[in-house]
Amino acid sequence: MKLAVVVQRYGADINGGAELHARYIAERLSRHAQVEVLTTCAKNYVSWRNERPPGVDQINDVIVRRFPVAHEREPYDFGRKSVRVFEQIHSVADELRWLESEGPASPALVRHVEQVSHDFDFILIFSYRYYHAWHVARRVADKAVIVPTAERDPAIGLSIFGPVFRGVRAVMYNSPEERAMIEAASGNERVPGVVVGVGSDVPDRTDPARFRRTFNIHRPFAIYIGRIDENKGCAELFSHYLRYAASFARGLDLVLVGSAIIDIPKHPKVHHLGFLDDRDKFDALAASDLLIMPSYFESLSMVALEAWALGRPVLANGHCDVLKGQCIRSNAGLYYQRYEEFVEALYSLESNGPLNAHLGRNGRAYFRRHYAWPVIERKYLDMFEHLKRERHPEALQAKALARQGGGYKMEPLPGWFARRERRLPPGREMLHRIPAGHARSGAA
Amino acid sequence: MSDFSVRSDNVDVEQIMRQIRARIREKRGVDYTEDEIRELANVKLEKFLDPKGVRSDLLDQFRKIRESSETARNYAFEDTTLFASSRPLLRFVRRLLNPILKLFFNPNPLVEALHIQSRLNESYNQSEALSYELMHNLVIELTRTGIEVKNLKMRLESMSSRLDFDERRARALEGVVQYRPGTVPPLQPPTAQSAAGQPGQHNALDNEGNERRARRRRRRGRRRGPGDRGPVAGEASDAGFGDRDTHEGERPSGSADNREQSHVHVDDERERSPMADRTTPAEPSDRSPEPPSES
Repeated sequence: MKLAVVVQRYGADINGGAELHARYIAERLSRHAQVEVLTTCAKNYVSWRNERPPGVDQINDVIVRRFPVAHEREPYDFGRKSVRVFEQIHSVADELRWLESEGPASPALVRHVEQVSHDFDFILIFSYRYYHAWHVARRVADKAVIVPTAERDPAIGLSIFGPVFRGVRAVMYNSPEERAMIEAASGNERVPGVVVGVGSDVPDRTDPARFRRTFNIHRPFAIYIGRIDENKGCAELFSHYLRYAASFARGLDLVLVGSAIIDIPKHPKVHHLGFLDDRDKFDALAASDLLIMPSYFESLSMVALEAWALGRPVLANGHCDVLKGQCIRSNAGLYYQRYEEFVEALYSLESNGPLNAHLGRNGRAYFRRHYAWPVIERKYLDMFEHLKRERHPEALQAKALARQGGGYKMEPLPGWFARRERRLPPGREMLHRIPAGHARSGAA
Repeated sequence: MSDFSVRSDNVDVEQIMRQIRARIREKRGVDYTEDEIRELANVKLEKFLDPKGVRSDLLDQFRKIRESSETARNYAFEDTTLFASSRPLLRFVRRLLNPILKLFFNPNPLVEALHIQSRLNESYNQSEALSYELMHNLVIELTRTGIEVKNLKMRLESMSSRLDFDERRARALEGVVQYRPGTVPPLQPPTAQSAAGQPGQHNALDNEGNERRARRRRRRGRRRGPGDRGPVAGEASDAGFGDRDTHEGERPSGSADNREQSHVHVDDERERSPMADRTTPAEPSDRSPEPPSES
């Protein structure tokens, strides 16, 4: 079997959620199939500037082919177009302009995938909302398997993505909440899909004492790992934590791991360690009492899974359906929606050893049951096998058209005039129409 | 602070969260979510805040002003702006004729003033955004504070009524208090004259002028031993209760020992309970003179 993985950025030094997800999946699937990664030369997800040379590269035994981005993102232009499609009545043409502005606009990548698609059995496309995913999915729909990594943001309400979700061969979801959201937004229930998520290379042994010695942290602490950004809910975390620290002088310290986009409050109990390598990160997690996940929007939190893998409970933002759903399904974490809940839940996890240990044990079991690599790999391979045997009318049509050389096409875009007709509701309004809430059951 | 006992391997996160929320409700009296607080801040401020002090539509007004001011965008003004053009030829001609123009008037102060004005506009826009955020947060905090004050008032009223109730109960108990004979002088029965002179004390005396409490069963502050089964003088009917219901090794609870230290007597109904059959019960009746008005 030969697989292509199409993703916006790729590299061992790129730690963005979807990109790391793509790398893990590519590397794991390369044990079962021939995998080639097709990506851009960009390194920065804001500007999409070409920072790596185009051509072939090899990362951890996986071939990587890079293509240049035609133009960088212009933040002002992108902001203006985002307001247009998310907040105002707009047209399909507006949405396409928004997509072009968002990037990474790499026509060379799209052309290449279209040209070589017949060499691959399936083409795994990551991150539905970017230029590359939309264009590639439309051009090679008969082989496209999409990993949406969708969050609950207004982009899901844009009309151009509906045909993509309805037209690809399969969708690999990260969580039952993501699946419910996409199905509600696009009505793609007939498309084969499975909740998979992603595993993590958690070490068998960790050394919490080494971490404490190295970073001179001797008090019990809660840890946050990730980009320290307002979009990740860190501002609210700081606000809550400072109130908590003022009330409980002997409470947990807060250790922050990751690069800071916003200012970190100067407080003797807040320790910012910056970016850590995997060894330090896992040792820090093992040394912590719990992980705090303050993010409002997640399609899947890999760091929460890593905490569970190490037997640490998670305190998550209850406004995020995915995190809340995972806490409930795993019985391995508490959640909060306001300061009072934050402080009570934090205190419960801090002061109640048996509760902390039980949640940790549940988390470890949950990780092994749903996110161990053999489980993840099996789900992907089963899906590919299923798609090869598929007897679905649309799939048969796709195969027939592929044999005739015509190629299966998705729902076509509206005509020239219809495309420019401003009658589509704002993306945010569409988002509000999609039912929210965590899923009680689901694969993961 | 909450503390959850974990008794089995089955931890239910939702149940724990329900307990946490119940605990918060218990503490705060009324439980509002952040969204509800925001909604209240936007819609019904006058319900919680003094409408004379803060306008309930303050945010709306502020937002309107802000939106209208956004339409008047700032402009970039540099020394070349006056002579700029999208047409290169025109730009060239203007630059060529610039020295001649300067023969007629000096445009530099004009350029400088407009440049400063542009920067002032920018600064004003920034400060306006900050003011908006500040005002918005202030209104939310003020609403939250108003709600908290309301809750505190309710709690204060509740505590005040409880205190009032306790005081009345204490006074009622003082009226029926008995002392051990020998430790302090026994209460002297009031004379008929003094009783007649105080209508409020009619209940204390029966028709024969004897103290009613004397007819009530009394308990001594000592526990009788197994051999001491006979009734205490003057309490023949009481002894039967005590001997029937209470035996050695059948103490209802450890707290009864504490109650033995008390010398407060209670009414008949209370005494018939197993707890009351201990020597000298201290619990007052739930039927207090006036039930408290709990809010």
